[in-house]
Amino acid sequence: MKISTARQGWAILAVAVLVLLLSLLIRSAYYQLVLTQLLLWAVLSLAWNILCGYSGYFSFGHAAFWGLGAYTVALGMIHFDLTPWLGIPLAAIVGGLAGAVIGFPTFRLRGHYFALAMLAYPLATLYVFQWLGYQEISLPMKREAPVLYMQFADPRAYVVLALGLLVAALVVSLRVENSRFGKALLAIKQNEPAAEAAGIDTWRWKMRAITLSGALAGMAGGLYAVLLLVVTPESVFGMLVSAQPLILALFGGIGSLWGPLIGAVVLVPLAEGLNGELGDVLPGIQGVVYGAAIIAIILCAPEGVYWRLRDRFAKPRVEPRTTAKPAPALTIAPEARKVSGADLLVLRNIGISFGGLRALDSIDLVVGAGSLHGIIGPNGAGKTTLFNVVNGFLTPDAGSVSFAGAPLAGLRPNQVCRRGIGRTFQVVRAFPRMTVLENVIVGAFVGARDDIAAEQMARVALDRVGLADRAAAVAGGLTTRELRLMELARALAPQPRLILLDETLAGLGHDDLAGILGVIRQVRDEGVTVLIIEHTMQAMVQLVDEFSVLDHGRLIAAGRPDEIVRDRRVIEAYLGRRWMDRVADTVA
Amino acid sequence: MKNGPTRREFGSGLALAGAMALGLRPAMAEIKEVRVAMIAPLSGLWARQGQLMRLGADMALEEINEKGGIKALGGAKMTVVVADAGDSTEKAKNAAQRVLAQNEDLVGGTGAWLSSFTLAVTEVTERAQLPWLTLSYSDLITNRGFKYIFQTSPTADRQAAETVPAALELAEKATGKRPKTVGILMDNTASPVSFAKPLREGGLEKLGLKLVVDQIFTPPLSDATPLIEKVRTTRPDFLLLPISIMPDNKLVLEKFDEFGLGKGRLPLVGNGAPLGSPELKKVIGPELLEGLLFSVADWPFKGQEELIERFKKRTGEPWMTQDSLTAYGDMWIFKEALEGAGAVDRAKVAEAIRAMNLTDGPAKSVFPGPIKFDDKGRREDVPLIFAQWQKGEPVTVFPIDLAFAKPYWLSS
Repeated sequence: MKISTARQGWAILAVAVLVLLLSLLIRSAYYQLVLTQLLLWAVLSLAWNILCGYSGYFSFGHAAFWGLGAYTVALGMIHFDLTPWLGIPLAAIVGGLAGAVIGFPTFRLRGHYFALAMLAYPLATLYVFQWLGYQEISLPMKREAPVLYMQFADPRAYVVLALGLLVAALVVSLRVENSRFGKALLAIKQNEPAAEAAGIDTWRWKMRAITLSGALAGMAGGLYAVLLLVVTPESVFGMLVSAQPLILALFGGIGSLWGPLIGAVVLVPLAEGLNGELGDVLPGIQGVVYGAAIIAIILCAPEGVYWRLRDRFAKPRVEPRTTAKPAPALTIAPEARKVSGADLLVLRNIGISFGGLRALDSIDLVVGAGSLHGIIGPNGAGKTTLFNVVNGFLTPDAGSVSFAGAPLAGLRPNQVCRRGIGRTFQVVRAFPRMTVLENVIVGAFVGARDDIAAEQMARVALDRVGLADRAAAVAGGLTTRELRLMELARALAPQPRLILLDETLAGLGHDDLAGILGVIRQVRDEGVTVLIIEHTMQAMVQLVDEFSVLDHGRLIAAGRPDEIVRDRRVIEAYLGRRWMDRVADTVA
Repeated sequence: MKNGPTRREFGSGLALAGAMALGLRPAMAEIKEVRVAMIAPLSGLWARQGQLMRLGADMALEEINEKGGIKALGGAKMTVVVADAGDSTEKAKNAAQRVLAQNEDLVGGTGAWLSSFTLAVTEVTERAQLPWLTLSYSDLITNRGFKYIFQTSPTADRQAAETVPAALELAEKATGKRPKTVGILMDNTASPVSFAKPLREGGLEKLGLKLVVDQIFTPPLSDATPLIEKVRTTRPDFLLLPISIMPDNKLVLEKFDEFGLGKGRLPLVGNGAPLGSPELKKVIGPELLEGLLFSVADWPFKGQEELIERFKKRTGEPWMTQDSLTAYGDMWIFKEALEGAGAVDRAKVAEAIRAMNLTDGPAKSVFPGPIKFDDKGRREDVPLIFAQWQKGEPVTVFPIDLAFAKPYWLSS
């Protein structure tokens, strides 16, 4: 990871040098202007990418930040004689604040709803600025002290300024991408519930992302005002402004450091060239050609140019096989091993309804520290609902959950995770574009002081489940067994005291099953309490110390496996008579 | 990178710039062509306006060149470099920068129709010291202390200040009664807002008018009923209707008709050339437009009959509008300025425009009032023109000496 960061840093430097050389070579003020605009749109697209590319929360409304930045600079100069040298940093602050203010209510929404809600902000702001009487404002020409007010005769000065913003945006993006911040956002993008359950405070990271994104967009909008000198609500809050960063990033490669820049390098000159060459000959044709070019590229490279090129030319990342980095000091939480017998997880009188359906009804459940506790029940019995109540996805209508003596009421999943409860999911919720190691690192952040510690903890967890040799593989290409193990490692990485395993054994073949059972037992032996949901009765009987049986949201039986398989209520509700006859012989 | 060429280029550039500044164009007698620019929206929402401007400019250039070109430059032909301002201020500014970069010999230009575009374009042309003519109304254009901008239209503030008194005068002449109440129905885009602002801030009061209904909407309008309902119940003597968006105009006028206020029964007074466009007639129909009055910077007036006929024949347009008319006139202003300057030199052309005081000739015949600019670049003593839709065509009705027809003013 470190090497790649350094290499990217050099690449940013190379881009900067290239742009400077280019601006020295170009003599036409017009091309300088187009170059400056290209850089500014790239900054906006990078800003957009920080929120939308990494976290997957699409915004159709980045014009709001851009426009606020532009108006901050313009109004600051008109009303307070504020130089853009201060106005642009101020624009960044305004953009960041706007991001926070917008994010606060809007992150209640997800997916398309979020995107559509974002669309409303610039449109609403547009009307506000019209209403305020700022239909057309113009930055006054300063003949006395032009440089003080960022008014240069040499267009190259603007190239340098825009380049400065671009380098800043690239460096910020790079730091985000290669830190806990970026990993958290990527995890959110790929699977938000999994991220939350892995202890990532999704709300906080999303708020940080939109604030940062807004600040960068506001800053670029501020310089845009200086460049254009005329600010109208349509030109800075318009739909086209919101669409631009999206188009550039989609074209260049979404969620990548270089994608937005690639998009800007190709599309901005293309659009302007078409305007210039065709605008007076066949008015309107430029839009058609531009649109066709975008469609063609999207068809050839749906994920964007960058990813297409990377998939084609980049060598698969092979990590040097680290000869099993042993870090035994971290392997077992020492206090966890000692406790046994004490009640670790206590559920009292839990009830929850969905509409008319009573999904859980008066559940009392006690899981002893150090035990391997199984929950069985037919489909729809409420098993996964029970897990969701424990780890905070659902809030029960009645009853209480306490863990290690402290109540869990009102905690969000990431906070529950911080208390020491990890979980896996019925359908594996991996982060498919990340490597196995990165997947597990995401889980380790909760318990780690810094990124280095997180990586170390992740490697330890991979060792524990026996997946160390697959650390560098991309999660999307794993087998079911490996995925299950990886998810287990992710849950184990922050060294929880309790893990909730939701049908970890489902869909596994006989040999794979034996391997995973061994791993689960070993985890229990190392002192981690395990609560597992399972359908595979045979496996469960071999595995668990204690059973709870759910049916129609009620706990109908609890006890040792040999007791349970003989319990008449259980047999009737779940197992069936024939099964009982067979098992009664083997287990007895 | 080698130093040599760059330095040499720099040197020759400096020499060229110096020569231009001093007006020392080498081999001046051999000039075959003088070029001016026209930047106008040729694509997007305002493409039609740009097209109308182009028609006017082309006709003027053809006439100028047929009559022997610029005599002071040995009969050099005048040509226009056209660029598309598109649909955004950014595109307009880019077009200006591009045209300037690719045509170093430009002596002037005109455009870019929409005030916001003109503001952006002139930020470029001012820095290049290129004399620029515009028909845009916004006061801001000539309030920035620029030295190379010349606004042929009366500014928006002036139009606002003069439209209502002129309308009052017109009403009084037609009906013998001076209106006492007025309403405003407008959208909140740039030009209506700047039009209505001084009126609300004491302008109407000073004229002894009571503002009885004041409605502002944000385009696009989905339903005009509540707006017109208000107007009907308050029933002003006349209604100011600064609406810049065509579909909204249609909705409003249709509703007026539906409520029995159409065809001049409630006198409507608007502002701006789009209210007289041929498209409006196609979209709204002549019945609904009948009686609508609007003030405008320039509109075909008495004395231009021959010009109008030539234009109609040449282009097939049903009538001439402000956009074609002023673009046509702007070319003639440059022609006069070049004759005065006697050189292909921006500074001299600008100087010639500043010194201009035309009271007759082809350039003058296009605009009401003399061609004479003040320090800000605004024309002095320019009367505001009123046109009224009469029998399916907007005709100039005021001032009387320029009018083709008599205005009428129905009153309840």
